[in-house]
Formats: sequence, structure tokens, C-alpha cells
Amino acid sequence: MIPVNFAYCRPCTPEEAVQSYTAYEKAGKKTLYYGGGSEIISMARVGSITPEAVVDLKEIPACCELKEEGSYINMGGALSLRAIADSQCFPLMGKAVGRIADHTNQCRITLGGNLCGTIIYREAVLPLLLTESEVSLQGPEGVRRLPLQKVFDGRMRLLPGEFILKVHVPKKYAQMPYLHVKKAPTEKIDYPAVSLAAIIEKGKLKIAFAGICSYPFRSKEMEAALNDTAMDITQRLNKAVELLPEKPADDVHCSRGYRELLFKNMLGQVLAELSAGSKAGAKS
Amino acid sequence: MGGTIGLNVKRKEAWAKVTGQAKYTDDFPTVGHYTARLLVSPYAHAKIISIDKTKALSIKGVKAVITGEDYPNLSGTLLVDRPILANKIVRYAGEPVALAVAVDEAAAALAAAAVEVKYEVLPAVFTPQEALNSTAPLVHEELGAYVHMVEDINPKPRSNISCHFPVRKGNMAEGWRNSRVTIEQEFFLPPSDHLAMEIRTARAEISKDGMVTITTSSQAPFEVKKQIADCFQIPAGNIRVHVPFVGGGFGGKAPVMQELLAYIASREVDGNPVRLVMDRKEDMTAAPSRAGLSARIKLGATKEGLLQAAELTFWLDNGAYTDIGPYMVKAIASDCTGPYRVDNLHCDAYGVYTNHTYATSCRSFAHESLTFCIERAMELLAEKLAMDPLQLRLVNAITPGQYTPTQVQGSFSNLGNLPACISRLQELTNWQESQPMQITADTVRAKGMACFWKAATPPTNAPSGAVVTFNSDGSLNLNTGVVEMGSASQSHLAQMLADKLGVSDDQVHVVMEVDTQLNPVHYKTVASITSYIAGRAVMRAAEDILEQLRKIGSEALGCFPEDVEVKQSRVFARQNPDIYIDFQDIVMGYKDIFGNSIGEPVLGRGTSMFKGLSNLDPKTGKGRTGPAWTVGAQAVEVEMDLKDYTYHIIGAYSVMDVGNLINPESMAGSVRGGMAMGLSMASRESFSYAKQGRGEMTTPSLRSYKAIHVGEEPVYQLDFVETPQLDAPYGMRSMSEHGIIGIPAALANALSKACGVAFNHLPLKPEDLWRTATAAGAGAKAGGSGAEAAPAPAAAASSAAFTAGPGAGFGEGGGIQ
Repeated sequence: MIPVNFAYCRPCTPEEAVQSYTAYEKAGKKTLYYGGGSEIISMARVGSITPEAVVDLKEIPACCELKEEGSYINMGGALSLRAIADSQCFPLMGKAVGRIADHTNQCRITLGGNLCGTIIYREAVLPLLLTESEVSLQGPEGVRRLPLQKVFDGRMRLLPGEFILKVHVPKKYAQMPYLHVKKAPTEKIDYPAVSLAAIIEKGKLKIAFAGICSYPFRSKEMEAALNDTAMDITQRLNKAVELLPEKPADDVHCSRGYRELLFKNMLGQVLAELSAGSKAGAKS
Repeated sequence: MGGTIGLNVKRKEAWAKVTGQAKYTDDFPTVGHYTARLLVSPYAHAKIISIDKTKALSIKGVKAVITGEDYPNLSGTLLVDRPILANKIVRYAGEPVALAVAVDEAAAALAAAAVEVKYEVLPAVFTPQEALNSTAPLVHEELGAYVHMVEDINPKPRSNISCHFPVRKGNMAEGWRNSRVTIEQEFFLPPSDHLAMEIRTARAEISKDGMVTITTSSQAPFEVKKQIADCFQIPAGNIRVHVPFVGGGFGGKAPVMQELLAYIASREVDGNPVRLVMDRKEDMTAAPSRAGLSARIKLGATKEGLLQAAELTFWLDNGAYTDIGPYMVKAIASDCTGPYRVDNLHCDAYGVYTNHTYATSCRSFAHESLTFCIERAMELLAEKLAMDPLQLRLVNAITPGQYTPTQVQGSFSNLGNLPACISRLQELTNWQESQPMQITADTVRAKGMACFWKAATPPTNAPSGAVVTFNSDGSLNLNTGVVEMGSASQSHLAQMLADKLGVSDDQVHVVMEVDTQLNPVHYKTVASITSYIAGRAVMRAAEDILEQLRKIGSEALGCFPEDVEVKQSRVFARQNPDIYIDFQDIVMGYKDIFGNSIGEPVLGRGTSMFKGLSNLDPKTGKGRTGPAWTVGAQAVEVEMDLKDYTYHIIGAYSVMDVGNLINPESMAGSVRGGMAMGLSMASRESFSYAKQGRGEMTTPSLRSYKAIHVGEEPVYQLDFVETPQLDAPYGMRSMSEHGIIGIPAALANALSKACGVAFNHLPLKPEDLWRTATAAGAGAKAGGSGAEAAPAPAAAASSAAFTAGPGAGFGEGGGIQ
């Protein structure tokens, strides 16, 4: 039960959504954009947030779009993770979002919600970080489209009143060899201890991580080290640990030491696949 | 006998439950009810300096805000040590501090959160070892002043010891002299949760003439009545406790807590109906949990493996209040050696207060914890002896003629047949292939086993009763004080009644709900004693009915009462079975063809009470705590990834001596359920508490507290041995809880074998295993610094089903289909 009252509205256009948001904020109400609600509901139930208004984005057609347009695949911000996985439009994306929560929750959690939420893993971003993806943001000043990497730095850096209208993934990346590996501390369906997504582009490994640190990231320096065949696998793994952007996370779900162990094991597996693939022509 | 014993009779409430029609306490309409919500302590140990209700009372719709000062009454089932709401001091994080009553749940929740409490934090103790330190803060300053409800517990004032049960037998010096091999090891199990699907809840109202009505999710309606009467000095006859279906109890709903809160809430609002709502977090942190246990085990044996001596010390982490804890300590003492003959024995079992959530009974009454320690120790002994662990258990298994720790002489009736269980397990598990088997470069399969025994530890005079009435169609209504919470025990009772009366099972209707004004007294639905103690009452009620039918039948049929037979819902004279009276024509009294009234309506009545039990001798522990033991042998098979210690439980086995398999499917269901709980508890469940700061529980939700899920369970393989318990109805032994008991130990034994590291702590999460292995110097394989970071073969990665890990090679890309 959520003990506080809040206003709820479900606009049909992006403009209306922004207008509603702005109007609520102007009236002094703490306002949130609302996707699947899994995070807002659970946090409001325990009292860690007390929104006074929510603007539901799921009725906006553009936010629910899933189609090819030119050289891009467009995914609406209010698409459910399950819809993305089932569409098979981008297999790596399907794998990554298909391992977030359980099936019931995947039917509720939205792409935008996963990217913008406060839960630190945001695993939907991993494929996007590897693929020069772009994002269209709707805000009070209209729509801006820009590379995701420009607005994602561990978390989405949105301007006040902005929300994710669509994500644009270049189609060519959907054809490349990929790998997704996720390990949780005790069971299959859980927050990741370490989650990684990788693709091979022109023989080079591109890789992004969640869980190992307190935010998801892709590191060009780490990729360079991992692709440096002058080093043997052990050296590359040790280098990768050195190049983590911060110490591995250490919390009630999983300790730092065990995360590091899994990180090295999983990365070792990726490098083994990579070298096996380069010998056998990048096929599993 | 009617032949319903041994059949897979469907449980009586099956349709109600599978269609969702079954009603649980909070399923009834809430119209006309106020709602009460709790404010709980954020601190493990603190003085309450002040409580300000002003802000809470100003919230619209709030009717009352209650604190410990308003009701300083204490409660407790053995030792009266627990306030309803914390008064002046909080002793665990999660302890109820204030209760807000309002017109709806939202207002009550807001009001509870608005109560302003100032605390002064006190140092806290979180393990028995910390609590026993001579400089440890006292959890209860007034321990010596509390009222005792039973005579056989002995809290030690000015300490954190709530009870001590010693067991002394034989001659220790001789035992150690005869031992060629000894092992000594410490063990640790953290507290964890019952995690019943139905969260604890209760409703209360008080009529203008003082009648108190409680509806509650409880295993112990008669205990609720007693404790409310004792706590508030109300005549017990003025209290009526109603229990509909209970959505899982596992011992966690035997304590009386939510009922006391609901009662004071109603009392503060002029007796109006109040519904107490606790959420999952409160159910985990405020309501009682499963107890933790620490132990030190020392065993000595001859070189052939025969046990010669055991020196055992157990410290039960009872949390902040005793509840039934001291009797769990007594149960540990009584069964301390596990099901083995040990002639020279020195055991001390203690209950210890800590600043954890208070603990209570949880499926098997601490036997799963006791068994973990003993069965790990047996495994270590087998290793040291270089002996097959199954053989070690077989040669030491207790058999008729030998004596238990508390000097009860064993017989087939009271002990069952453990060697037969072990032998059957040996076949079932294909035990000759129990040695670890390499599957791939990084994965190993291994099997581990454990034996168990358990006797109930009820009060020596625990009562039960049954009333059987008839309907005009000749069918029966069985009415006991047993709560239906999933164990199918009511259906088993119905099966016994049907068989005894020679009617078919569908002729017995069961009164599922308990109402203490209507149902005969039953101690509590706990300890797997229903089939025994309520079964005895049902058998006596059936005898009562048969006697009445014989009397009326003899008059109606014109024969001697002893010639009257009752079978297939008919009454007839043995010498002339062609002339019979159908039940429907006789159970309401008989009328002959001339209109003469013969006999009277039949009403069956039976009561029972434990007999021949005794308290334990305070010096030697000699005494009999329960009527009989149930024994069994269990095993678990795992496949483990040695690179990261993740594992997959691939098989679980159980062979139990149940006396008489009266309903094979439902009894197998109980055992499988127990095994699942054991696997879940051992593989991942634990309450952990912040060691610094406030000392709060760090896993108070199902996001952080993990339990086994559908799809993670292994294949279960079961079999049964049937050695009748002569004083039990149909020879059936207690068995509802027992599936859990040996599983944690068997899992630990399997994992220890798989990677050659001794795992003596729970839980057995991959991370815990890694830490233990690393500390033991066996972590090199796991990619530690300098190790070859072994590239995993694809097969190994995809087989790591315990955790995640599909990742079998790079996939091909694709486009929109």
C-alpha cells in the first residue's frame, strides 16, 4: 500500500506529457515520469520516495514504437523489456533485457525506466553503449537527438522535464557477433554480481559491464588492453581489473572480492571465446 | 476397519485451495474495521528517551496511538519477558514501539511513521559468543524477576543465559580412553525466516459486555486465548479465538504476538473492530524468526568407527525474547547425539539472549540445526577414519535395547528402524558411486548424506480432543482444535476416522476453521504431533460412536451389543448381515416400523493427553520428552563449478520411517516440502545484521533475502520404511516437519566433498564457499591472483545452472524479423 495520495495522468502525446509535468512542477508537486512503475511503486510503498504526481508515458504512441527506420532500429522508451526481447530485433539487446528480473516484471519494466531508474544496474544500457546508439529526448524545449554516450555517464543525465522518447540503434550492429554473460550471487533471476555484453566489430572486442561497479560503463582503455594481443590472457585480465573505473561494488548482495573473482572468470571466458572465434571465424 | 488407510485420499480442502476460495484471516471484508500499523525500532538496543505522539495524532482519521507505557503488560509462553510494545527499552531492530489505529490503512501508516521517538543507543550483542562475554551488555537487566510459566527453565540473572539443559551419561574419561580417533569442530548457523506465504495478521473486537473476539493467522488458538487472559487478567471464557485457513506456519505462527497488538488496538478505540496489518518487512523483522545456533562438537571413536565419547555444547541464539526457545534448547539436549549410540556423553545446551529479532520454533524445532552440527561432525570423523560415511552411520545407528541421551531405552516402537533407512538410501542413491566425479575440467559431482531423528518436546500434559457429529444423510462431521495450515493433518485424521468406523472417506466432513468456543481444546498445531495426540482423541471418539451404535443397533436388531457390526455405513448383526440398518436411519436415533423411538442421536466424543512424559533431571538430563522418535536418512547430490563455487543441486533423496504410510502422496508431499525448505535454508537463507551503526537487519525484504524458487528444485527421490509406533493411531509416526532435518547437513557434506574444503557454517552461498575455501588455502583454482585464469569450456559455463551463465559462445546477429 502506498499511504500518500498523488496525482496520476496518462497523456497521449509527448507534448502533453511535458506540459503536464511542467504544470505539476509549477504547482509545487514533486513529479515523476512513470514507465512500468515497478521501481516507483516499490519505493513509494516503503516510503523512500513520496511523489505527488506521476505522468504515465505508456499511452504515447512514439514511446511504444519498435521499428526500422533508415539505418536504425527505433525502440520507444515505454516499450516493455519483454516486448523488446520477444521482437528479436536486436539479439544482444534481447539477451541483456531478457535477464533483467523475472518474466512477470519484464512485462512491466520499460526500457526508459530501466535506463533512468535508481536501481544501479541499468543493464539495458550495455548493448546501447557498444553500438553508437542515439537517443531522442523529449523536453520542455522540444526534442533533441544525440549520441547516448553524451547523456549517459553511469546514469542518464537528463535536463529537468525530459524523458526518453526513443532509442536508435544502428542496424549494422544487430548483425555482429555478440556475447552476453550475467552472474548473480546465488540464483539465476537476481541483481547481477557482474553482467557483461560484448560484440566483435572488425575483429576487435567491444565490451560493457554492469554490477561490477556502482554504475554501468564501457571503458575504451580497458577495451584497448583486452584487444592487445601482445599480452597473454592473464596479463590482460589483470590489466582489466586495474582499469576498472572504481573499486568493485561491495554490498549486501555480493562482496567486492567475489565480484572481482566473477569478473575475471567471466572476462576470461570472453577472451577465450574471442581467441577461439578468431581462429574459427567468429562462430560459436 | 474400512480400508481407507494407505490410499491417496485427496485432502479435504483441496478444491477450496486450488480454486482460491479458501479464506485466510485478512481475506474477510474490512468494512467497519479500523486499521492498525506499527512503528518499529530502528536500533538493535537502545533506551527510549521520549515518545511524542502529537504529530501522529494530528493526522486526519487517526483514532489512537499506543505506546509501551500505555500497556506495560508482559507476555510469554515459558518465561514472561516480552512487552507488547517496547517500554523504556528496545532490544532488537524491528521491535514494535508504537501502534497507530486509524480509519484506514493509509492514515495508520502515516501516523505510525509520524510518531517521534528519541533513543539513546546502547551497545548490542549479535552472537551467543558476544552475549556470553563477561563484559557483554545485558539484554534483560531484570531477568531474575520474570514470571515462569513452566517449572523446568532456569534463566541466570545478571547474564544473557535464558536456560541451560545439561545431559550427563557414562564415564567421559573412559570414553576418551577407548577412542583412537577424535575430532573437534565448531559450527555456526545464522537465524533465518519462516517466510510463510501468508504474512502474520490479526483482527480484534470487544463487545460491550466484554466478549473479546480475535480472528488470527495462528497455529495456537487456545494459546492465544490463554495468553490474552493471562496478560490482561480477563476470564478465558470471555475470549473467543477464530482461526480460518492459515497460509503456512512452520512454527512461526505458534507465538502469540499479533493478537496482543490487535487486542490493545481495539481496546483503545472502544472495542471497535480493528485489523492489524503487518507488511513483509515487519513479518521478517518484528515477528519472530528461526533461531541461530552455535556449537562445539567433540567426538571420539574406535578405529572401527564405533563412537565412544561425545562432548557437545550448543548455544541457541534466541534473540531478544525467549518465546518457546528454552524448549528448543531442551529438544536439542534430548536428541543431542543424533540417532547414534553414545554411552559416554557430556552435553550442555544453552539458550542465549542477543539483540536479534526474537526467535521461535521453526520446522523441526531446531533439529535441522542440531543435525547440521552432528552430521558434519560425523562426516569429519569418517574422513579421519578413512571410512565410508554411510558405513560409519550404519555401525553407530541406535537400535532397540540401547539408550538415548536422556536414558530412554529404545525399542522398534519408539525408535523405528534407522539401519533399514540407511540401507534403503544406499540403494536409492547408488551410494557406491558417491565419490566426487569429475565432469569437465572445472565441474565435479558429489553426493553427501545425513541421518536424523526427532522426538516432539511438548508440555508433558499437552491435551487434544475430537467431537464427531452426524448429518441426516448418515455422513459425519469431524471437529477438532487442529489448525489447517497445509500439512493435510486434518485430512489424515478424517482418513483414520473413516477407517475406524468402516465408512468411505467421502462420508467424513472436516470442520476446517477453529473457533475456541466450539472446538475441543488442542494444545497447538505444532511439533508434528497432530496424528498422534489428536489422532488418539479421534480414535477414542470413534470408539465412543461404535459403542453407541452397538447399543442402539442391538435394540433395533434384537441382538447382543457385542454381535453388532458397523461397516460400509451400515449397522448389522454379525450372524445375519443381510438385515442391516443404514447409517442415515440410525445415527439420529432409530425409529422402528411401529414408530417406536429407540436409542438417541449419536455424538462421538474423545479427548487425550500425553502420558508418561517427564521433565529432564536438572543434573543428568534423564527423562522422556516425547512419546517416540522418527528417524530417517537423506542425501543430496550437487554439481559444482570449482572456478566460482556456484553449484547446481541435481538430486535430493529421503528415506524416512513413518510407521505407517497412511496416505502415500500427501505424506510424500510433506517430505518434499521439508526438503525444499532445507535446501533453501542451507543454500542461501540468512538474516544478517549491520555490525556497525544501528544493528538493523540488512536483508529485510525478498530482494535481499533469497529463498529457493520454482524451477530451482532438484529431482526428489523418496522412499519409506514402516515400523509401527505401537501407541500411535495406525502406528503412524510424526512426520510433517521431518523432511527438512537432514538436508542442510547433506548439502554441506556434498559440497565439502566436491571441493575438498570443510564447510561448517551456513548458509552455503557460492560466495561463502569461496571465502571459506580461500581462507583454507584452496582458492587457487578460483582465479585468485597469479592463477591461470582458466578459460572456461563452453559446456562448463552453460551447466552453471545454480547461478546464471548462458554465454555459450558468441551468437550470430540478426535483424528485425
